[in-house]
Amino acid sequence: MWWLLRRIGVSLALAWIVATIVFMTLHMVPGDPAEILLSTGGVAPDPAAVAELRERLGLEQPLLTQYGQFLLGLTRGDLGTSLVDEYPVLDEIALRLPRTLELIFAGTILAVIVAIPAGTWAALHRGGVFDRIASGTAAFLLAVPVFVVGTVLVLVFAQMLRIMPAGGYVPFAQNPGQHMTLLAMPAVAIAKGLAAVVFRMTRASVLDALSRDYVRTARAKGISPTRVLVRHVVRNALTPVLTVLGLHMGTLLGGTVLVEYVFNWPGMSTPLLRAVEARDYPMVVGIVLTISGLFLLINLIMDLLYAALDPRIRTA
Amino acid sequence: MTPTRRALLLAAGTVPFLRVPARAQASAGVLRFGLSAFPPNLQPWVSTGASAGTVKMLIHRRLISYDEKGELRGELATSWAHGDDGVWTFRLNPAAKFQNGEPVTAEDVKWNIEQIAGERSTAYMRTQLQAISSIETPDAHTVRLITREPVAPLPHWFAGYNMGIIWRKSEANNPIGAGPFRVTAQERGSSMELTAVPNHWQAGLPKVKGIKLTVYADENLRAAALQSGDVDMIEYVPWQSMDAVEADPRLSLDAVEGPFMDVVFNGARGPFTDARVRRAVAHAIKREDIVKAAFFGRGKALEGIPIIEGSPYYDAELAKGWAYDPARAKALLAEAGVPNGFQTTLLATAQYGMHKDTAEVVQQHLAAIGIQCELRLPDWSTRVSLGTRGQYEIAIHGTAAENNDPDGLSAFFDTSLSPSHGRSYMVQAPRTVEALAKGRAEFDPARRIEAYKAFQRAALEEVPMVCLAWRSQGYGFDKSVKGFVNLPGALTTSSGAMLEQTYFG
Repeated sequence: MWWLLRRIGVSLALAWIVATIVFMTLHMVPGDPAEILLSTGGVAPDPAAVAELRERLGLEQPLLTQYGQFLLGLTRGDLGTSLVDEYPVLDEIALRLPRTLELIFAGTILAVIVAIPAGTWAALHRGGVFDRIASGTAAFLLAVPVFVVGTVLVLVFAQMLRIMPAGGYVPFAQNPGQHMTLLAMPAVAIAKGLAAVVFRMTRASVLDALSRDYVRTARAKGISPTRVLVRHVVRNALTPVLTVLGLHMGTLLGGTVLVEYVFNWPGMSTPLLRAVEARDYPMVVGIVLTISGLFLLINLIMDLLYAALDPRIRTA
Repeated sequence: MTPTRRALLLAAGTVPFLRVPARAQASAGVLRFGLSAFPPNLQPWVSTGASAGTVKMLIHRRLISYDEKGELRGELATSWAHGDDGVWTFRLNPAAKFQNGEPVTAEDVKWNIEQIAGERSTAYMRTQLQAISSIETPDAHTVRLITREPVAPLPHWFAGYNMGIIWRKSEANNPIGAGPFRVTAQERGSSMELTAVPNHWQAGLPKVKGIKLTVYADENLRAAALQSGDVDMIEYVPWQSMDAVEADPRLSLDAVEGPFMDVVFNGARGPFTDARVRRAVAHAIKREDIVKAAFFGRGKALEGIPIIEGSPYYDAELAKGWAYDPARAKALLAEAGVPNGFQTTLLATAQYGMHKDTAEVVQQHLAAIGIQCELRLPDWSTRVSLGTRGQYEIAIHGTAAENNDPDGLSAFFDTSLSPSHGRSYMVQAPRTVEALAKGRAEFDPARRIEAYKAFQRAALEEVPMVCLAWRSQGYGFDKSVKGFVNLPGALTTSSGAMLEQTYFG
């Protein structure tokens, strides 16, 4: 039990370190939230008005006092309110995090559905026409930046063919059909890079498994080729693929910025970007803390799973 | 599972479902409008940009607004006039009502002005309204404003989009306006729904049942949303898409040249304290290159003070006062004692393409006369901070005047005002400042024109800033959208008010 408590303690300490670093660096960066807000559109604000707004937002207090208040709020689960419109940070995250997660899951599912069968097929027919085309496509998809793919999708499907909306979001409860339609293009854009990685990993991994002794033995025993493939080859080959998939899903959490921007998907990236631009300190700290918290949580769960699988880790 | 063929067929089978046409549906009488940015907040008197301004002009009423030609038009006020003593008298429309049914009275107007000019105010018009020494309300529908000095352009002050008049008993977080729309739904950062107020006191307004505002921060996506029919109308049509919008038989483009780009200087130290060096910069830059590089040709060279053609204050000769003339620029540098130029830094921002592109062209042309600039391109927030603190040598800026009255240029040309990123830092331009003050106090139209010609001449010599190019600002909309007009010149940023008279035809 001791190792478990220690592991959770380490996670909490890491969360505190992340929060502190983000809070401090953000305040060190030049830029004054009050001045930026009142300068929107390039106008020249009255310095007296800026000073008054700074006072109201509590920005005139010493940095350590602000930090103390922030930590105090954190212990109560309070992330504060936006400096721009006093909107509670937690409400913003609660509204937008599920949408970002939905996008990531949709992209991942799409990538897995396409890439794992394709990778297996390519490995089974190594050097064949399909293998060459698919490997070439994977390399191409990895190389093309996500915003190019996004823009091309919008151009072709929304502007030229006019069969898809250019972007946006409708809640699932309000109109399920349109929700899925709007989800399709950003999910494809997210899936493209991931699909390429999963395809290559699957192909390599299946090739490796095919040459293993247990496969030869299974075949020698006279088991049907399909059964060998499904129960022995693919099953064993998928373990490294799942590891890669897990790692990449974590990265996507912070990497959906461009996709959300290009397709106007109201996830968590846009508010983060806007908050950084506006130096909306509580909003930035809150969102970054949430993302890093999810990372830490995933890591913690992984460690616990490994420990469950391998008793040696518990004593280490 | 058997891999491959079946799986692929299954995957292929899902494709038709992705093709279900489900374009955003138009709902009867609701205008779908693509905004460029979500209003940071809707506090009536605080300046938070033109997007917020659009919404504020629709949910609030000002004393005065602008008509299609950009002329002053009464909104809450039916008339306004000044006496020989310079006292302004506004008469309010007795029919005017706040959205809660309370009448709009002189007391309300007085209270609004007092709040805006108050000691603890964060309002945009705070400094200006502090020039009002007393407010008299002889009856419920008359307001008399006594100013410390005579102020000729005062009606324009009350026509800005940060001048909505709210009910004086409003709660701090719930300002009650007198406009034809109210905000009925919003999702922070994404969208906002405005619904027409039933029985609005201005007969015939608004002409649509509601406006659904959706934010498309990516300019290309905003244009795509208009072209694909997701929205009926967008603001800030990106310059690169203007051709396509014009060519589309279903769409209209209404673009005007109003906002402009300029160079501001640090006059506290270094070579730019010398007006001759600043003037050399003014003559060194070929403006057409900026129009091409930054605005895809959608703009116009600006070689003088930003006063639009057709304005009574416009002077064709003065408008060319800073004409491109590299030889003259070199001569001015020699006169200032730096014939071979010097090294300096040029501040702009990489966050906005037009600032960065303009900076690159300026850098190139200044190099041609020997001024070697190192580009500094931080994000906008840092750019604002550095500008206000005078931590730069020269900087690129882009803005629009408050209105088309030349007094609207004071915020940029009056370098005696407190430091701001939007005007030069501690540059001495006493004659310009004096000429501006003279124009502000002058009521006689002919003498006012003279005063502002003197201002232009002074500014061309003292160079409190260098103007570079007008940029086109366009609204794109479906041909079924009628009644909207993009207001001329600097007022283009106030065109959102026209949405109340927009309808489907």
